[in-house]
Amino acid sequence: MSPARDAVEVDLLLALVRHRYGDRLTGEQIEALRRGVQTIAEHAAALRAAPLTNADEPLPPFTPFRVDE
Amino acid sequence: MNPVFQTVRELAEAVRARRLSPVALAETVLARLETLGPRYNAVVTVTRQRALVQARRAEDEIAAGHWRGPLHGIPYGAKDLLATAGGIPTTWGAAPLREQRFDFDATVVRRLEEAGAVLVAKLAMVELAGGMGYRQPNASFTGPGISPWGTGAWSGGSSSGSGSAVAAGLVPFAIGSETWGSILSPAASCGVTGLRPTYGRVSRHGAMALCWTLDKLGPLALTADDCGLVLDAIAGPDPHDSTAADRPFRYDEADVDGRRFRFGVVRDVAATAEPAVREAFARSLDALAKIGTVDEVTLPDLPYEAITRTILMAEAASAFEDMIESGAIAGLTAPEDHFTAYARDTILAKDYLRAQRLRGLVVREADRVLSRLDALVAPGRPGVASPLDREFRSAARGNVADLMGAIGNAAGLPAIAVPNGFSEAGLPTSLQFMGRAWEENTILAAARAWQGITDFHRRHPPVEGR
Repeated sequence: MSPARDAVEVDLLLALVRHRYGDRLTGEQIEALRRGVQTIAEHAAALRAAPLTNADEPLPPFTPFRVDE
Repeated sequence: MNPVFQTVRELAEAVRARRLSPVALAETVLARLETLGPRYNAVVTVTRQRALVQARRAEDEIAAGHWRGPLHGIPYGAKDLLATAGGIPTTWGAAPLREQRFDFDATVVRRLEEAGAVLVAKLAMVELAGGMGYRQPNASFTGPGISPWGTGAWSGGSSSGSGSAVAAGLVPFAIGSETWGSILSPAASCGVTGLRPTYGRVSRHGAMALCWTLDKLGPLALTADDCGLVLDAIAGPDPHDSTAADRPFRYDEADVDGRRFRFGVVRDVAATAEPAVREAFARSLDALAKIGTVDEVTLPDLPYEAITRTILMAEAASAFEDMIESGAIAGLTAPEDHFTAYARDTILAKDYLRAQRLRGLVVREADRVLSRLDALVAPGRPGVASPLDREFRSAARGNVADLMGAIGNAAGLPAIAVPNGFSEAGLPTSLQFMGRAWEENTILAAARAWQGITDFHRRHPPVEGR
């Protein structure tokens, strides 16, 4: 993803944070949160760049449950 | 005998032989916790009443010929995220929860009681085990944890008091927890030995949840041998924790004299560490040649740290959703903990799942490498104890590399940190041995062998009343 699209994505994600919590946040805190969202977006990009196959299941696997076992 | 800075094994022999009274030992430890604990911000609650009841019981039982084992009559401290009954607060290090109480003991606390150990204190910790994204040491309502090796040095986190209390000779051993670095980091910063067991080796029932798929409980003590003794008592399945594995563990105390180990080291694993850590690690690699071989290994290119960090942040945001969304986090001590977690609402479910899918690759690749080795070796922490008044570098936050922590915690692998030197300022450095899943006995043996050829674990900070 290009830096420009990255910046747009961060702005959009930060808008969600501001929408949910903006009434509790100072301008300084919002700028700190922008850096946090940027880091999360970078992590997501790194995760998406790593190849997976259809068969690669998430850990831990789901296990059915019975109270008597 | 003066019990201060004696190992669990030494104390156990004295208690068993009735040369040391468990009650006298408890009184000594309780007095040190009360007088010296505040110096290091190491203690939340001294559990004097419960301790003396347990110590008297131990004394009576041993006098009657019933010795439960090496922890019988031995005092310990528990990180204050382990539930304790009897009206003892369990604060999770968080000011809004300073009056929180449970009506049951965590499984670990119960198992230690069954082994005859004496709970003397609930030990200080970073608030919510650091799950809200703290960036500096003053992140607990009990104040920043202080390493006994330097008045201006942080004890590390999040098991801050577990590290400093052992290092200062306030308790012979302590229980800590690790999600990413919270046992190995304080062990390193305080110059003690810390064991992170395999995920699922120790029940987490009654422990605060930070990240369900990453949280582990383990001991901190003066020696690897002591960590083995403690793990023997606390490991095992638990009907109250479905992740506690039904795999028996018995500590293998076999003599390691003459045993040769196969160590691996990931290329450049210490490249971004502080100079004192890099130099100590280089010396350690030379010394390890006395007890084994050291070969360089390679790992595939995967986003290890992004994987572990995404899982940690997403699960912590869910575990503390009520506190975050209600705004209760504004009552925490660290200013950055008041709002940092809000950013985690932007982690997408599919990215969390992608991290968990990639984790499957990490697990397999780590086992592929470790199946040919006894342990991977690396610095226990990339730096010496951080200054109290500054932001620290943190792998969990992403401003310092910690490949071993990312892999080890994502794959749930056991690791043990042991002291391996000192900086010019006299702050300890640390070496870790990370093993294959369920191979605690192998890394304990390697760490015992290390402590058989070095004396760093026998050096103690200048604490009065030794």
